[in-house]
Amino acid sequence: MSQTDTNKPNETKEMELGKFGKFLKDNGIDSTRKDDSINVETIVISVKDLEPALRLLKTSSETKLNMLLTISGVDYTDRIDSIYHLWSYDHNDALVIKVELPKQSQANTDTVNLTSIANFWSAANWHERETYDLVGIRYLRHPYLRRILNPWDWEGHPLRRDYKQLVDALNDKNPHSFR
Amino acid sequence: MSELLNNDLNSTDLARENAALISPELADTVTLTSIDKAINMLSQIVSPIANLARSNSVWPLTFGTSCCAIEMMCVGMSAFDISRFGSEVFRATPRQADLIITAGTITRKMASALITLYEQLPEPKYVIAMGACTITGGMFNDSYSVVQGVDRIIPVDVYLPGCPPRPEAILDALLKLQQKIRTENYAKRRVQAYQQRPVCYVDYDCGRPLEDLLAMAMEDTSLALDQK
Amino acid sequence: MSTNLETTNLKTDEMIINMGPQHPATHGVLRLILKLDGEIVRHVEPVIGHLHRAQEWQGQNRTLFQYQALIDRVDYLSGMFTSLAFAHACEQIDGCQIPPRAQYLRALVCEMNRISSHLLWLGTFLIDLGALFGFPFYPFREREKLLDLFEEIAGQRMMFNYIRIGGVQRDPKPSWFEKVRKFTAEFPDRIDEYEAIVTQNPIVLKRTKGVGILDKSVAMDYGVTGPSIRGSGINYDLRKTRPYGIYPELNFEIPLGQNQGDTWDRYMCRILEMRQSNNLINQCLDKMPEGEISGKKQIAGLRIKAGEGFSAIESPRGVLGCYVISNGSDKAYRIRWRNPSFCNLAVLPSLLIGRPISDIMAIFGSIDVILPDVDR
Ligand code: SF4
Repeated sequence: MSQTDTNKPNETKEMELGKFGKFLKDNGIDSTRKDDSINVETIVISVKDLEPALRLLKTSSETKLNMLLTISGVDYTDRIDSIYHLWSYDHNDALVIKVELPKQSQANTDTVNLTSIANFWSAANWHERETYDLVGIRYLRHPYLRRILNPWDWEGHPLRRDYKQLVDALNDKNPHSFR
Repeated sequence: MSELLNNDLNSTDLARENAALISPELADTVTLTSIDKAINMLSQIVSPIANLARSNSVWPLTFGTSCCAIEMMCVGMSAFDISRFGSEVFRATPRQADLIITAGTITRKMASALITLYEQLPEPKYVIAMGACTITGGMFNDSYSVVQGVDRIIPVDVYLPGCPPRPEAILDALLKLQQKIRTENYAKRRVQAYQQRPVCYVDYDCGRPLEDLLAMAMEDTSLALDQK
Repeated sequence: MSTNLETTNLKTDEMIINMGPQHPATHGVLRLILKLDGEIVRHVEPVIGHLHRAQEWQGQNRTLFQYQALIDRVDYLSGMFTSLAFAHACEQIDGCQIPPRAQYLRALVCEMNRISSHLLWLGTFLIDLGALFGFPFYPFREREKLLDLFEEIAGQRMMFNYIRIGGVQRDPKPSWFEKVRKFTAEFPDRIDEYEAIVTQNPIVLKRTKGVGILDKSVAMDYGVTGPSIRGSGINYDLRKTRPYGIYPELNFEIPLGQNQGDTWDRYMCRILEMRQSNNLINQCLDKMPEGEISGKKQIAGLRIKAGEGFSAIESPRGVLGCYVISNGSDKAYRIRWRNPSFCNLAVLPSLLIGRPISDIMAIFGSIDVILPDVDR
């Protein structure tokens, strides 16, 4: 996979807290605000705050962000982001939460850990399994953290930037592919 | 009759090998060789008739994984009406089908299931590789999880390109297959039956070719033995 | 029926049965590992990924222009919607303007695609219920007409690649609009025809009424969207709640389930939705403005600005979202799909547990899952 031409997107400067950032701050959870993603508030919170913050945002009658759209993992070569898109069934606000997980060492990049939220939010269950499968974030205390899309003993995480594709008798035909 | 019997051109390799082993006094008794010969002879007479019947009632298996499967459904419906060609009976179980139309991408996870299905089809069995995905991998050719063409795992009779092929194209492929069936000889096909096995077996769990896995295992054991 | 089974004192053993991946009623390649107690399902584990074609991986390795052609395959029954979601996300990151005619054409083809998708669902749902190759002739007859119309504007029956970043690909001829009008004029009668066969059919009623009740709170917890959740009575349709495109200018209603959210409600929602879509197509045709059809040049080296954004639209199956991270080059840095089928399928185990095995297909068919949309 030739990744030399894909530069990382530029890092963005920090901004003032938005509506949900302030709400979290009132409840004792720190967050920093990043550039909006299409007019949607985007905040970064730390690993240990993730579970309480999401629990709060989901149940509090003030925010009611009770719809978890997706959990995506993004590999930025030196760190991996776990990104939560929250919407609501009742109103039109939206929030993007990012958790930045630095890769621990070059030799042992597999160990990127994060708390699972599948215990109180069923929607997260499959999304976390998928992110584990494709990006390789290990969600601790997940009820059933197994690969979901690839076979269960697949090697590597395909959406990592340094993933080397398996080439064997089933797929060695096209030498000019993007592999 | 005797002319046909003596005509060695059509007899099988097996029969030819055995002919040398059989002593002259047993030659006129019923042996495997003579059964083969009889089949050879009969198949010349029977095959055209049987093939005509068979080619007009090719029953496909309802095997569809993705987009192409929808076009395969369309071809069974009123607008295109595959029953004009005797193939409207889509069977849900491989035991009752003659034909797999591999409609849709075959991934590594699905490959082993496809091989199982193919093995469960009774002879004579045919395969139409439908769509770019099943011919070469198509648009997903370089994806890490896609098998680059079903001909890597099972033998294919008719290739049907397109993404997805139009229903008319499916009918065309079916007609091509019918032509192929009509030219077949039962005895020859019977000999070839052992070639109608899957080309390459794929492990159910990890979706890799079994040969590779075996080679790896052999390497591992020899390494371990060396260390001892 | 199930209550009878529950109360009998027959002694039964638990048994594990594997269903799929090759099963005629799983709409492709879903595999269910069922634990059965007699007839009753005790535990379900869906095994997915048999059609994982690495769409997201392709997204970050192909140029945006190339990838536009691939995404129709994410959800092949509603290719227009996947294109639309992707185009929306890219346009909002880029900030380019879409001409009004393109907006109307988009809404028009999307609603047509919604009808064709629901028609296929209707056919396969009835096949799942046992009307094997009798009833499906009816919806497929209309579907063929729609596909012919699509072919005329996009060149393909199913993989349209019609909606592009910045607009649409081709301006249809005036005669095409006439054909669409002809279709919409006769389509309500056709729906009446399906309803005459299915809606009050005692067998269908018996197999769908009160079966597979999707509770509101469960549905919200799992993030279910689309007709499946509207059948449970939650009014959540992006066309109304977060309007995109030209939907604020159109006049339509969101059909909701009347009972408690069973299979029957989901069926009825889709039937009513088809009528609404037919209505919407007519409105689009009436209001269709003249003008440009694309606000961005369609060249192979198509680029969008750096940035990231999530954009979602209402597909026939629910909220279809696309999350694009762009670094300003002609390839996206990361593309992530939020597929409605993936989220809707996650709720399946909680619907099946405690039901007899014969209900599996009715319930599974009614949440309208399509497997490439699950596996990508
Ligand atoms: S060939 Fe095209 S239409 Fe057929 S399965 Fe592959 S991607 Fe889908």
